[in-house]
Amino acid sequence: MKSNRLLYLLPLLTLAILAGFFGWSLLSGRDPASIGSVMVGRPAPRLAAPALLPGQPALTDALLHSGKPVLVNFFASWCTPCLAEHPLLERLAKRDGITIIGIAWKNKPEEARAWLERLGNPFAQVGYDLDGKMALDWGLSGVPETFLIDAQGIVRLHFRAPLLEKDVNERIMPLLKAGS
Amino acid sequence: MFEFLLALVTAGTIGVLLIPLLRTRLAGTSRLDNDLAIYRDQLAEVERERAAGSLSETDAASARTEIERRILAAAEKDAPERQPKPDAALHRLLPPVLCLLIPALALGLYLKIGQPGLPSAPFIPHTGRPAAPADQGPSLAQQIATLRERLKQAPDDPDLLSALGELLTQKADGVVSQPAVEAFQKALAKQPGDARAQFYLGLHESQAGDSKAALKRWLDLEAQSPDDAPWLAMLRAEIDRVAKQANLDPLAIKPDRRPPAPPPAAPAAPPMASGGMGMPQPTPEQREAMAKMSPAERQQAIRGMVDQLEAKLRDAPPGQPADRDGWLRLANARRVLGDAPKAAEAFAKADALKPLDPRQLADWAEVEVRQIQPGAAPSPEAVAVLTRLEQAEPDNGLALFYLGAASFAHGDKADAARRWKKLLALLPPDAPIRKMLEEKIKQAE
Repeated sequence: MKSNRLLYLLPLLTLAILAGFFGWSLLSGRDPASIGSVMVGRPAPRLAAPALLPGQPALTDALLHSGKPVLVNFFASWCTPCLAEHPLLERLAKRDGITIIGIAWKNKPEEARAWLERLGNPFAQVGYDLDGKMALDWGLSGVPETFLIDAQGIVRLHFRAPLLEKDVNERIMPLLKAGS
Repeated sequence: MFEFLLALVTAGTIGVLLIPLLRTRLAGTSRLDNDLAIYRDQLAEVERERAAGSLSETDAASARTEIERRILAAAEKDAPERQPKPDAALHRLLPPVLCLLIPALALGLYLKIGQPGLPSAPFIPHTGRPAAPADQGPSLAQQIATLRERLKQAPDDPDLLSALGELLTQKADGVVSQPAVEAFQKALAKQPGDARAQFYLGLHESQAGDSKAALKRWLDLEAQSPDDAPWLAMLRAEIDRVAKQANLDPLAIKPDRRPPAPPPAAPAAPPMASGGMGMPQPTPEQREAMAKMSPAERQQAIRGMVDQLEAKLRDAPPGQPADRDGWLRLANARRVLGDAPKAAEAFAKADALKPLDPRQLADWAEVEVRQIQPGAAPSPEAVAVLTRLEQAEPDNGLALFYLGAASFAHGDKADAARRWKKLLALLPPDAPIRKMLEEKIKQAE
């Protein structure tokens, strides 16, 4: 009889545990959408992709070991967040003089070309990865994603979202200033 | 008919729910009753088997004793549960009461807010948006091509360049793309004050992660724009949005920013040229001090400024053309502050210098009407303003209603009914005053 009564408390207990978990999730600043990155702190993965624009050489690992930090940005013409971050990339390339390497991911080359022509091209060099095979090595989960690779070819930052003003001002720029 | 059917269905449902609820006695079967039934069955079975000879007499006797012992034990265990439950009455009454209460509540609510007379609107065509982009005239791509064609003839025309930049931005779903930026920069070089180019270049800066530059550009544009510039509202909204997003204070970027006319303070204020008799503007320190005040103190401070303006207007040499704007501003301020008699006085002063336009007349009429005591006839001053308003706008609801009331008060019931009927026809079907107006018309007829 007594143990039966206690059984009725079980749903209440479950609810309390759930509420505690949600409360902790809210207050601890945990981002459930973040899946982290295993790339940060490691040498950049292999870079090999055919050139998107005529007259440019194909992308190779040499680009990542030029002795200068570079940004590697995966984009696609069908991706709206890529459109939103595009002016930021333009500014980083034109005003701050940062080398940005673009890779059109799962994107028909002619569509990616038209997109860049319409919006402007912030990339020092652009390649394309039509079947997404190379992106596998980079641990890509979608587009846009941006990697900051330092002068030694080590991945320093990995953004799994469109870049925002505060990403640039508070994370990318300080690191570049410290590195150069 | 439909209502009647609904009532019937509701009544039927309640009946179906109520009958079994009223019939059941909540006590129902307790655990003891169940147990006893089982033991009774067992006793009967023992008896049957003894009669059939499959159970010996002694076995049957011991089985019977065992069962009887269990009966006693069950009765003992059940004893404390047999206490009368204090909430039994509540349990019995609650379901039927709820059954009746919920439909009664629904009916009450319907009688209070329901509008059985509201016409149905099933097939109103969606007028807001054209059905297909094909009807919109030339597509964006076509418009851009035409503009580029025209730019070949006049490559430096700033208006064409700005228009092209705007179209390119639209094409890019609101992102100011690099080609658009170049067009705007060229336009701005030719025509340094070009508001459109400035606005979009600011937008580009905010999109490119330089909110501070964007805000600076926009705040300068705001300061240069005339008070009645059509883009001001949008510009201010964008300034607020970007400032909030980047967590920047516009005043920190441009300390001498004039405060935007408080939108709730003068919703219907007509655009006024900035004359010499402006409202005294608070300095940034005063504004900061006001932000810290309690609402009552703030109200007091605002009233103080309005009084200052009135004193300035009264001291000024009469007949200046700028005075009229000053009086209008004063009238609007008084109107918003709820000081109807003083607002009416200020409107009259402005009107004496130059007759007011219909929009201003409507504001004047509003403050006159506000002074009417409930149930009393409109004052002669109010009637004079309302009559002018009606001449300017024959369909003005305020004028129709109160001029009708004035006619009614003077015994001209036919005229009152005529005005009120006209008003009734103009009102939307769900206007709350319909009922009151219909009653008034009945009285007048």
